Amino acid sequence: MSDGPQPILGVKGLTKRFDVSKPRIVRLVSGEPRRIVHAVEDVSFDIIQGTTFALVGESGCGKSTIARCLAGILRPTSGAIVFMDTELGATRSRRAALPFKRNLQMIFQDPYSSLNPRWRVGRTIAEPIITHALLVGRRQIEERTAELLCLVGLTPADARKFPHQFSGGQRQRISIARALASEPALVICDEPTSALDVSVQAQILNLMRQLQERLGLTYLLITHNLAVVANMADTIAVMYLGRIVECGPAQGIIDRPSHPYTRLLLDTVPDIDFARRPREPIKGEVPSPISPPPGCVFHPRCKLANERCTRELPRLREAADGRAVACHAVEEGRALALVGLAPDQPEKRAG
Amino acid sequence: MTPVLAVEHLSVEVGTRRGALVAVDDVSFEIAPGEVLGLVGESGAGKSLTGTAIIGLLDPPLRKARGRILLAGRRIDDLPAQAMRVLRGRHIGAVFQDPLTSLNPLLTVGRQLVQTILAHLDISAHEARKRAVLLLGEVGIPAVRERLDSYPHELSGGMRQRVVLALAFACEPTLVVADEPTTALDVSIQAQVIEVLKRMCRERGSAVLLITHDMGVIAETADRVAVMYAGRLVEVGPARRMLAQPLHPYTRGLISSIPRMRAHRGMLSQIDGSMPRLDALPPGCSFHPRCPDRLPRCSLDRPQMLACGDGAAACWLTGPQPTGVQVEAADRE
Amino acid sequence: MTAPPAMREPDAPWWQNGILYDFGRSPVAVLAAAVAVLLTVLALGADLIAPYDSYNPASANVVDARLPPGAVGLFGDRYLLGTDPQGRDMLSAMIYGLRTSLVVGLGAVVLAAVVGIALGLVSGYFGGLVDTLIMRVADVQLSFPAILIALLIDGVTRTVMDRAMHDKLAVPVLMLAIAASYWVQYARTVRGLVLVERGKEYVLAAQVTGVSPARIVGTHILPNVMGSVLVIATINLALAILTEATLSFLGIGVPPTQPSLGTLVRIGNEFLFSGDWWISILPGAMLVALSLSVNLLGDWLRDALNPRLAGT
Repeated sequence: MSDGPQPILGVKGLTKRFDVSKPRIVRLVSGEPRRIVHAVEDVSFDIIQGTTFALVGESGCGKSTIARCLAGILRPTSGAIVFMDTELGATRSRRAALPFKRNLQMIFQDPYSSLNPRWRVGRTIAEPIITHALLVGRRQIEERTAELLCLVGLTPADARKFPHQFSGGQRQRISIARALASEPALVICDEPTSALDVSVQAQILNLMRQLQERLGLTYLLITHNLAVVANMADTIAVMYLGRIVECGPAQGIIDRPSHPYTRLLLDTVPDIDFARRPREPIKGEVPSPISPPPGCVFHPRCKLANERCTRELPRLREAADGRAVACHAVEEGRALALVGLAPDQPEKRAG
Repeated sequence: MTPVLAVEHLSVEVGTRRGALVAVDDVSFEIAPGEVLGLVGESGAGKSLTGTAIIGLLDPPLRKARGRILLAGRRIDDLPAQAMRVLRGRHIGAVFQDPLTSLNPLLTVGRQLVQTILAHLDISAHEARKRAVLLLGEVGIPAVRERLDSYPHELSGGMRQRVVLALAFACEPTLVVADEPTTALDVSIQAQVIEVLKRMCRERGSAVLLITHDMGVIAETADRVAVMYAGRLVEVGPARRMLAQPLHPYTRGLISSIPRMRAHRGMLSQIDGSMPRLDALPPGCSFHPRCPDRLPRCSLDRPQMLACGDGAAACWLTGPQPTGVQVEAADRE
Repeated sequence: MTAPPAMREPDAPWWQNGILYDFGRSPVAVLAAAVAVLLTVLALGADLIAPYDSYNPASANVVDARLPPGAVGLFGDRYLLGTDPQGRDMLSAMIYGLRTSLVVGLGAVVLAAVVGIALGLVSGYFGGLVDTLIMRVADVQLSFPAILIALLIDGVTRTVMDRAMHDKLAVPVLMLAIAASYWVQYARTVRGLVLVERGKEYVLAAQVTGVSPARIVGTHILPNVMGSVLVIATINLALAILTEATLSFLGIGVPPTQPSLGTLVRIGNEFLFSGDWWISILPGAMLVALSLSVNLLGDWLRDALNPRLAGT
């Protein structure tokens, strides 16, 4: 997307479909068609090293599926993933993939199930070190574990405790320590603070930011919380029903969203500042990913949909200020030009 | 005017092996007719337990230890189970977090509504069905006639929560207790459901006790707010003013730590430490170890709710007028 | 209504977290445990405790056959619980029989558990064809009653081996025969538990890190399913003991030279109505005591572990 610092991760045409059809015999008898979940369709983006890239969308938009494909838990149906200048092939064995797994770690949403309840915390943190044979000798491993615990704001004595002795926020810190144990280049954060209280969320986000500066980490942040995105992300990709609808620099997109769905998402962020900005009434719900609508997947809910939108899939086109939008209305100049949440301008709508 | 709900010095205890722990400690508040009171707190603060106590659904080892709960002036906390059951559907409606478990998976939506209506109102089945249709229309469910015969699992999460709202309002209750009604929903659906809730309250003049940890929902929905911390009430006041000028240091910290849309990439202000466990409450003010403004007195005397302007806060620093300390958006780079 | 997270018990691993406390407070559990322990000690110390060596034919004195409990024999031997038709001391026979019952029962359970857990782990974690195969075999296995399977295996070994060898190997064969039916329960339960654990994020985290599937199954998943396995094992133990007793009663269990409690019941069966009740009833009572106490312990264990598993 940009020349300059090299992308550490490049995704091209990533597609993932799940076959949830009933067994063939049953289908033969009942005459049901195949059912395929189009979880991710033709997704492409690049992540620059040292930045935070946010994948935003509601549940079912495919963002978690993308994370799992990148992390190697799911195999993509098609598409290419280039991580640290090497293409990750679809048939990679676990052995061959080890060097990449070392550099790509993940933090999960639920602090209560992301740590093995039977293991002491120190053992959990040390697992990546042992798996990749980064250090040898118990003393060394213990020292490194203590170091990691301090790095995330806990104490070395915590290594001997069990997860149930910690609060949700502390467990999330332990998960972060585990993720950092193998000194990864890229950390995928799947809704890292969605299950946490607001004040704890602030602590964790601040911690993540500090660690990014200190260790030069790159984050792929997956979330539905736009305020968190506004606070953390350099680049945003907005997803709807498996496709990217808008992608580009975070600040620009939040202040001046182009795609109608982005606008809808921003409108629904609860208005804690009582700015009482004028909002679009919201209609409808996310359709099922098994039978996505033809043409633009958002057209049933879009006020600007025309005939072309119902049959032709819009492609991501580069717009001004480095962003890309997949929308016929934007392309045809029909979208309302908005002045969004810029801090010192009164709210108004043009067009 | 008699408040719809008056909670007076409510305390809820949990029986554990090591003795009784106080989960809700001396909480008092009122809700006026037609008002939406937001009860806010983080996990473990005791807000859900307060709601449960009001509805009368505390199971052992939880129990109400002290206090009175009055609905429209009549005491309801000491009613026998049968009387409470009658009260619950007719005068108190309830909305819970998970729409999937709030609805009976074996009954169609229509049947559940009709059953509830018939259980509490003395009308014919035909009348009840007509009412059900009206209700579903009111909560914004499209194609009502078909939906009446749908089962809960055939509906999406947002639809289900609308049905739950319909159930809650079916008998025109005076009070609706909503415990995290939108937390399990997608962002765009949350906004719709909140709209429905607000509209139905307005049209019927019901009062709402809205229990949530989400300040954004409070900002959109509540008239007044009560903030809880470690089982105690720490601040009460009008929503708008409180969000701009909170009185209590905890409320202030809480609101400052919420990331804002317009502050890009700044460090969020945070409250260090975490909420104390109920068996390890600090002496005096339970917030004092984390409070940036604490005085020596705070670790000794537990503060009472001190009035200040149009609100009150349980803090020794509360003066007779709001101090005008603005909440900072996280603008620092 | 669940208690809020702030109230979890501090600073103790879950297995110490009040289970022993619960145990002390349940009179049934304590009593059951006491009986079970007593019987186990009796069985283990058979050689030391039993007044007569049951396996030594010389200790049986046909002259003293069918004496009632408390009687004194012709040569002055004291028979606390009477004698059987061959003049064997009932008490000693029962103690040795208890040992046989326990050994066979435990052996069968351990064998079934090892096989069942292993297959359940593989089935649950890897899924696919392997899973389908194992589960269908399990289904087929379940359609045969345990006794029938045991009969089958025993019959086959009898024809294959000669009498002497069969007698020597009777106990292991019996363990195999009983385990052949019981492994299915372990496999299915473990498979279900593995499916639940597999979706949890700590397993995903291990996969992302690159931990090998064998290590994940062995070090992550297995410890988390062991709790439930323990419960099944305890209840299975009672069942296995009774199955062995049934087989011995039918005459196809342990050889008559190493009588188990079931054998004794059979031996005394024909004398029940002629008044020599102690030959059947006493071993029967001991069998009941053993299986009941183990069963009650298993029940208590299941209830004690459940809320902890659900509440964590």
